[in-house]
Amino acid sequence: MSEDQIALLEVTRNLDKTWETLAPRYGVTNPNPPWKTSLTAMCDCLAVSGALPALDRRRAEDELADSLYSDVPSPERQLLALVHTMVSRGLVSEADLASRMRIVRERLEAV
Amino acid sequence: MKKNKASDKTGALFKVGDKVRVRDMPYMFYTRSQMYTRGVVGTIAALTYKDLIAEEEAFNFDGRVEQYYIVRFRQKDLWPGYPFDNDTLQTECPHRWLEPATN
Amino acid sequence: MSHTHTHGNPGDSHHKAAPMVEEITDYEVLEIAVRELAIEHGLFTAEDHRRFTEWAESIGPAAGSRLVAKAWTDPAFKALALKDGLKACKEIGVDWAEPTGVGTPSDYMEFHLLEDTPTLHHVIVCTLCSCYPRPLLGMSPEWYRTTNYRRRLVRWPRQVLAEFGLILPPEVEVRVEDSNQKCRFMVLPMRPAGTDKWSEEQLAAIVTRDCMIGVALPKPGRTVDVHPIQKARRPVKGSHQEAAQ
Repeated sequence: MSEDQIALLEVTRNLDKTWETLAPRYGVTNPNPPWKTSLTAMCDCLAVSGALPALDRRRAEDELADSLYSDVPSPERQLLALVHTMVSRGLVSEADLASRMRIVRERLEAV
Repeated sequence: MKKNKASDKTGALFKVGDKVRVRDMPYMFYTRSQMYTRGVVGTIAALTYKDLIAEEEAFNFDGRVEQYYIVRFRQKDLWPGYPFDNDTLQTECPHRWLEPATN
Repeated sequence: MSHTHTHGNPGDSHHKAAPMVEEITDYEVLEIAVRELAIEHGLFTAEDHRRFTEWAESIGPAAGSRLVAKAWTDPAFKALALKDGLKACKEIGVDWAEPTGVGTPSDYMEFHLLEDTPTLHHVIVCTLCSCYPRPLLGMSPEWYRTTNYRRRLVRWPRQVLAEFGLILPPEVEVRVEDSNQKCRFMVLPMRPAGTDKWSEEQLAAIVTRDCMIGVALPKPGRTVDVHPIQKARRPVKGSHQEAAQ
């Protein structure tokens, strides 16, 4: 694994589970997954609060989109790029993300 | 956008139609500039708004504001060998990136 | 409820729920996880996030289409839209101050409509980061965000337009508008021939998002944006074409 890669995101990035692949399989015509607007809002909120200015975020996203995540379709690519950038900048930790993902999944699957 | 008229140090504003050149300043002064307009002469197409000088580009955090402009360039002047004479490109520049051009 | 109908079983097509993706992906989980952590770390508030999410869900290109259709049919409105874009937007129910009262950190409150003429064709781009007039057009399409579009449109605009199927005579001035600061732009295309006496609704239907970006021209009968086939990311399993169905 190269230095830039974030192990958790490499595990998360599964091309079989992108919306582009899953939506037609389930006959869903909506072009975007339900979480896309939440992701958009998150980007705006990070810019408003100053935690991650828009230009910084987009520059990082461009770099990652052209390299590490170039094979991932949108909007999964944007999600991975955002999280990658937040982890690189110490805004969230990979360990916290991993454990929170476990908790969230349990919560969603319990319903 | 705070507009502090008391600190407006832009001096004489450019007018629509004025010929201007995008100054070739060190990269650190630009965060929203594209390389492709550096040193090129264009025409003021519009005055847009006055805005605070972006913090990362100002040495003094004294609330200075400056005028922003839409500058129009001929594509032929931006790109060597551009084949269509009439095509243009417009982009937005703050006052301090611009200097009067005589040609 | 009438008992003479033969609805049959609960799975009957009259009552079938809309299809959903029935699995919980790691992407969905990741988005929730990072958002919760961000809120807990104080990077933003849940309240702000909710407000921005609702705003993101409320925007779409229909507002832009209505603005253009109204400008085509109402000369006074068109004059206003060209002179004071924000005011014209307010008249059609779009407030650029939303959702914060001073706009978003990406859209600000400076909006200019770019009027096409028989000798002038506009097309918009943001080379730096893909800024886009979201209050009027909704979220930007994926192709607009790519470095491919952003780098090539300023350098080879006619080639990029040709890839969208738009070819303009050399005498027409193709003007690229690069929105690299706070102004946001949208194209006011020319009203096409064959639309005399059309209602605003009929006109709005042919003003698609691509027409307001400037990569397409409005035409009677053209109510959908169609793009050149993208190279399939994973040709064996599927293509963008399929996913777009």
